[in-house]
Amino acid sequence: MKRVMIVDDALFMRQMISKILISEGYEVCSEASCATEAVEKYKKFKPDLVTMDIVMPMMEELDGIGAVREIVKLDPQARILICSVMGQQSLVVEAIRAGARDFVTKPVQPERLIVAVRNILNNT
Amino acid sequence: MQDSYRELFLSESQEYLTIISNCLVKLEENPSDKNSINEIFRCVHTLKGMAATMGYEKLSHLAHETEDLLDAVRNHKIKLSGEITDTLFQAMDVLEQLFQEIKLKQESRIDTAAILQSLKRHLTGGESPSPEPPGAQPDTAPVASAQPAELFSFSTEELKHLKEVKSKFPFVYKIVISLVRDCVMKEARAFLVFTNLRRLGEIITSVPSLDQLKEGKFELVFTVVLATNELQGSLQQELAVLSDVDQINIFRLDVAEMTAVSSAVSSDKHEPEVAAAAAGPVAATAVKKIQSMRISVERLDKIMNLMGELAIAKIRLLQIVQSYKIETLEEVSFALDRLISALQDEVMQTRLLPVAYVLDAFPRVVRDISRKQNKEVELEIAGSDIELDRVVLDEISDPLLHLVRNSVDHGLEIPDDRKKLGKNPRGKIFIRVSRQKGQIYIEVGDDGRGIVFQSVRKTAIKKGLITEEEAATLDEKKILDLITLPGFSTADKVTDISGRGVGLDVVKSKIEYLGGRLDFETKANEGSKFILTLPLTLAIIKAMLVQVGKEVYAVPLINIRETIKIEAKDIKILQSFEVVKVRDEIIPIIRLNKELGITSKAPSENEKDTRVSLVIVEYGKKALGLAVSQVLGEQDIAVKPLGSWIKRTKGIAGATILGDGRVALILDIMSLK
Repeated sequence: MKRVMIVDDALFMRQMISKILISEGYEVCSEASCATEAVEKYKKFKPDLVTMDIVMPMMEELDGIGAVREIVKLDPQARILICSVMGQQSLVVEAIRAGARDFVTKPVQPERLIVAVRNILNNT
Repeated sequence: MQDSYRELFLSESQEYLTIISNCLVKLEENPSDKNSINEIFRCVHTLKGMAATMGYEKLSHLAHETEDLLDAVRNHKIKLSGEITDTLFQAMDVLEQLFQEIKLKQESRIDTAAILQSLKRHLTGGESPSPEPPGAQPDTAPVASAQPAELFSFSTEELKHLKEVKSKFPFVYKIVISLVRDCVMKEARAFLVFTNLRRLGEIITSVPSLDQLKEGKFELVFTVVLATNELQGSLQQELAVLSDVDQINIFRLDVAEMTAVSSAVSSDKHEPEVAAAAAGPVAATAVKKIQSMRISVERLDKIMNLMGELAIAKIRLLQIVQSYKIETLEEVSFALDRLISALQDEVMQTRLLPVAYVLDAFPRVVRDISRKQNKEVELEIAGSDIELDRVVLDEISDPLLHLVRNSVDHGLEIPDDRKKLGKNPRGKIFIRVSRQKGQIYIEVGDDGRGIVFQSVRKTAIKKGLITEEEAATLDEKKILDLITLPGFSTADKVTDISGRGVGLDVVKSKIEYLGGRLDFETKANEGSKFILTLPLTLAIIKAMLVQVGKEVYAVPLINIRETIKIEAKDIKILQSFEVVKVRDEIIPIIRLNKELGITSKAPSENEKDTRVSLVIVEYGKKALGLAVSQVLGEQDIAVKPLGSWIKRTKGIAGATILGDGRVALILDIMSLK
């Protein structure tokens, strides 16, 4: 079973995404509510995939993009899926540059999330 | 560059819109007409593609939604109802407005949300769709984007790049990527596709460019040229995992061929770019031969003007040659004569357009008016392939429209009334174009109530246009004069279709300004018919040259009924006007020398000759005799417009240069009376 970590500052979002993923047969191995926590937990849990909100309140000096960079630095094979609200194009582009594999937009549409997750995990 | 594409885009789109509108009318009459719906679908689809390529988002979006609805109808998922047809008509209107904006280079202000919603509503079967998420449909003004996707050119730099990577990446593909329609953040999506492609090889170029893509200056389709060592199949697999990508089409390009061209090109420094049209799995560098091209109307006018000058010079030459009697010179000048005449005909042809250009818009107009008026109308158009000078065509489109509206509004009765009269409840409007003897006849008429003399009389008296006595003598000939008087309208009430003051008087004066004539026939309960007689062209006309004193004037032949000589003693005075009786018709006489203020005597004028030369001209159904010194003969003349400072001179319509170099003024019969 593929293991997923969900990074989002909103509990509601984390719960929603995790519900969708679990119903599709994925294991949600961890959740993080800020960038720093995400990097720490990635080291610890080594998930197969990370869903990451790129707009999160600044905690310490790390933002969403910074988290993507840190994680890719730790693991060049890291598979990160960006969740972003619409209109944050430049941030998304930045995240893709940093190594994110794909993105979905909020509000999250379950089908799209599932397709994106499946695509990333198949394309190792 | 972009501008020339724009022009092409606009003119082509116009053609498609016309087809769509006509097919829609047909479809409304016969909802099971498969050909029409397929034709509409095809046109809308093409429009969408063109608009997308040009970066006109609103346009392509609307076209897309329309296409979806049409597709559903086509595949029998939705039954075509009157309501759907109406929506389709509305969508066409909005499309037209959008084109208008582009034409005028305006910022887009048109709100397409409403029409998009109603299109969607039909598609979802009446449910109101959730509103578009904000930002999904960016409200950007039309943006310049790129060249048509099929054809792009490799710059020498890109070809060099191709050569460099050839050993590393032996395969070059053109990859056409279409994103799904509801793709959000397509800029980022395109960037992601690029990022993925970069992992597979080297990107040589893309259309639109990466920068344009990042700024969102594309619709949903973009093309990338990628050099890679992946085979086509594995490339397809690699790219299949991208989300929000609808379709990927991969075409292999032949590098050897292109780089060969590149070296040829680099030896020729003047041509830095070579166009590579990659149209199939194997690259083909053949560029389609140009079959037709668009020339600005202005240039055609210039050519026509020069043609006129040439014709004049030719006549002078022929006159001189005749007086010298040198055989070889005669031979060559006659050959020249024939060639110039042939050339003149050809040049004339370039100015001609089929009347269909104007008439194609009519089915839609008639439909709209008849709907508003709850009348059933069948429109018959005949002879729309007949060609007419572009200028004339431009000028008559409004008058024709007015006549047609007039027929629907005043001519045709409502279906119930028609039934009572034993007529087909469906009224008939016809536009028939024909060509006879260098003139164009256009008949516009209906099988409606005809003009009821009584009601014309009443209106005319009420409006004080004629007196009771005059009304008593009113005959069919005078009806036209009456109904074309400014401010005349018998419509019971003012509608937005007619009766707003722009009346038949405007139509009449326009036709006459063009050197044409407007006639009218009517029969109570059987219908009325307007007959427009128009010259084929305005640039070269047939004219009768007449001498007045020492001056020469040209009278357009279209106005002339006959030329006769009368005895001076036959001229009678009637109510202080000079008149003459010709075959039982009293014809008023205008002495041109007095009218034009010419005091000189014609060289040929013989004091003893008691006869007077008369050129009898017609306007409407009235005749007028122009007394001239001498009738010189008929000739083709090239009409030169007058400078603005003498343009408005009464009685003069233009000027021409005669074979001997003299200038002759062209008489404007309409303003002489």
